[in-house]
Amino acid sequence: MDSSFINIEFLIDTFFVALSGVPIALLVTVVSMAIALPIGFFLALTRINEIPVLNWFTKVYVSFVRGTPVIIQIFVLYSVIPLILTGIFEKYKIDYPIYEINPLWYAFVIFSFNTAAILVEVFRSALKTVNQGQLEAAYSVGLTTAQSYRRIIIPQMLVTAMPNLCTATINLIKATSLGYAISLQEITLKAKVAANVGYNYLEAYIDIFIVYMILCMIVEYLFKLFEKRLSRYKYATA
Amino acid sequence: MEKYFDINYLWGAIPQLAPFLWITLVVAALAVIFGSLLGLVIAVFKLSKSKILQFLANVYITIMRCTPSVVLLFLVYYGVPAFADYFFGIYLQDVETGVFVVITFSLQFAAMMAEVIRSAYQAIDKGQYEAAVSVGLTPFQAYRRIIFPQAFIVALPNFGNGLIAVLQEGALAYTIGFIDIVGKANLIIANNFNTHAFEIYIALAVFYWILSVAIEKFFGLLEKMFSKGQRSLKTS
Repeated sequence: MDSSFINIEFLIDTFFVALSGVPIALLVTVVSMAIALPIGFFLALTRINEIPVLNWFTKVYVSFVRGTPVIIQIFVLYSVIPLILTGIFEKYKIDYPIYEINPLWYAFVIFSFNTAAILVEVFRSALKTVNQGQLEAAYSVGLTTAQSYRRIIIPQMLVTAMPNLCTATINLIKATSLGYAISLQEITLKAKVAANVGYNYLEAYIDIFIVYMILCMIVEYLFKLFEKRLSRYKYATA
Repeated sequence: MEKYFDINYLWGAIPQLAPFLWITLVVAALAVIFGSLLGLVIAVFKLSKSKILQFLANVYITIMRCTPSVVLLFLVYYGVPAFADYFFGIYLQDVETGVFVVITFSLQFAAMMAEVIRSAYQAIDKGQYEAAVSVGLTPFQAYRRIIFPQAFIVALPNFGNGLIAVLQEGALAYTIGFIDIVGKANLIIANNFNTHAFEIYIALAVFYWILSVAIEKFFGLLEKMFSKGQRSLKTS
C-alpha cells in the first residue's frame, strides 16, 4: 500500500470512466420507466375497479416485488428468463445463442418488472385522491371513459403522484447500480473494472458516489420543475 | 435429459438457508438500534433553530437518499479502514465484515429514521406540550408522557416500512463477502456447479417475502392496538 490516502490522479481519471456509464444507466431508467408507466397505471385501475382475476394477480405481484430485495428479483429473473427462452426456442426451432443476449435486454425486463409494481401503488394512492364526482361530472357532460380519464382524471392524479414518481425514479436509478450482477456496463461496473488494475477501490467508489449524487440532484430538480408546471392550474382557480 | 426445474433443490435449500436467516436478522436488528439512535440525533439537528445544524442534517439525508446501498457499502468497507489507518494509524483491516455491514445500514437507516421522527414530532400539536407544562409537568415529563406516546403512533407505520427496507437492502451484504442468507445461497449454488440457481433463488425470495409480509402485518396490528385509545380520546 502506498502512503497517500487517496490517489488523486486516479480519482480524476476514473471519474470520467464512471461518467461514461451514465448513458447506459439513464437508458435503462428511461426505457424501464416508459414500459412500467402504462403497465403500472392499468394494473392500478384493475385494483381500483376490483376486476376479478387481475385484481388478485396484481395484489400478489405487488406484494412479491415489495416483499423481496431488488437484488433477489434480479437473481430470480436472470436465471428464469434463459430457462423460459430455451423452452420457447426449442419448441419453435429458433437457432439463437441464448447466452449471447445483450444484458441490456435483461435489464429492461428486470427493472420494468420491478418499477411497474412500485408504480401500481403510486398510481393507486394518487387515483384515490381524485374525487369520485369528477368522473361522474365528466360522464354527465358526455365524455367517454377514455376521454374523461385523459382530460379530467389523469391531469389531477399526476399532480399528487409526482413526489412519489420522483422517489420511484431515483430508486430506479439507484437500482441500476445492481446491474453489475448481470454484467451491465453501467456506472458502478465500469468504475469497478477500472479499479481492478491497481486496487484503487476507494477512489473508484468515491467517483461512483459523486456521479450518483449529481444524477440524483438533476433528477430531483427536473421533477420539481415539472411538478410546478403540472400544478399551475391547481391554485389559480381556487 | 436433465430437468430444467427440479423442485427438490428448492426443498433441499430451505433447511440449509434457515440457520443463516438469523445472521440477516441480527444485522438488521443492530442496524435498526444504532440507526434509530443516530436518526434521533439528526432529527434533533433538523428541528433545531440553528441554521448550520439544519443544513448538516439536510446534507446528510440527501447524501443517504442519493447513494445506492451497494456503493455506500463499498465506501464504508474500503473507506473506513483506509481513513482510520491514514489519519489515526489504527489498523482495521482484520475487522469482521459484519461490522462494516452494520455500520453501512445504520447510516442508511438513520437517514430514514430522521425523517420519520421529524414528521412524527411535527404531527403533534404544539398545544399538547403547552397544556402538559401548564398542568405542572417538567419539559422532560411532558415529552415522555405526552408527546412521545402520541408521536410513537404516528411514526409506527413509517418505522415498519423502514424496517422492511433495511432488511431488504441488507441482502446486498454478500457483495463484501459477508455470509448471511444471500451469501449462503450463493455458496450452495457454487457447490452445485452453478446449476439450479433458479430454485435456490426462489427459496431465498420466499424467505424474504414471508418476512416482509409478516413485518407488515405485525405493524398493522401494533398500529391498531395503539391507536385504540387515540380514537376514544378524539371523540370524547
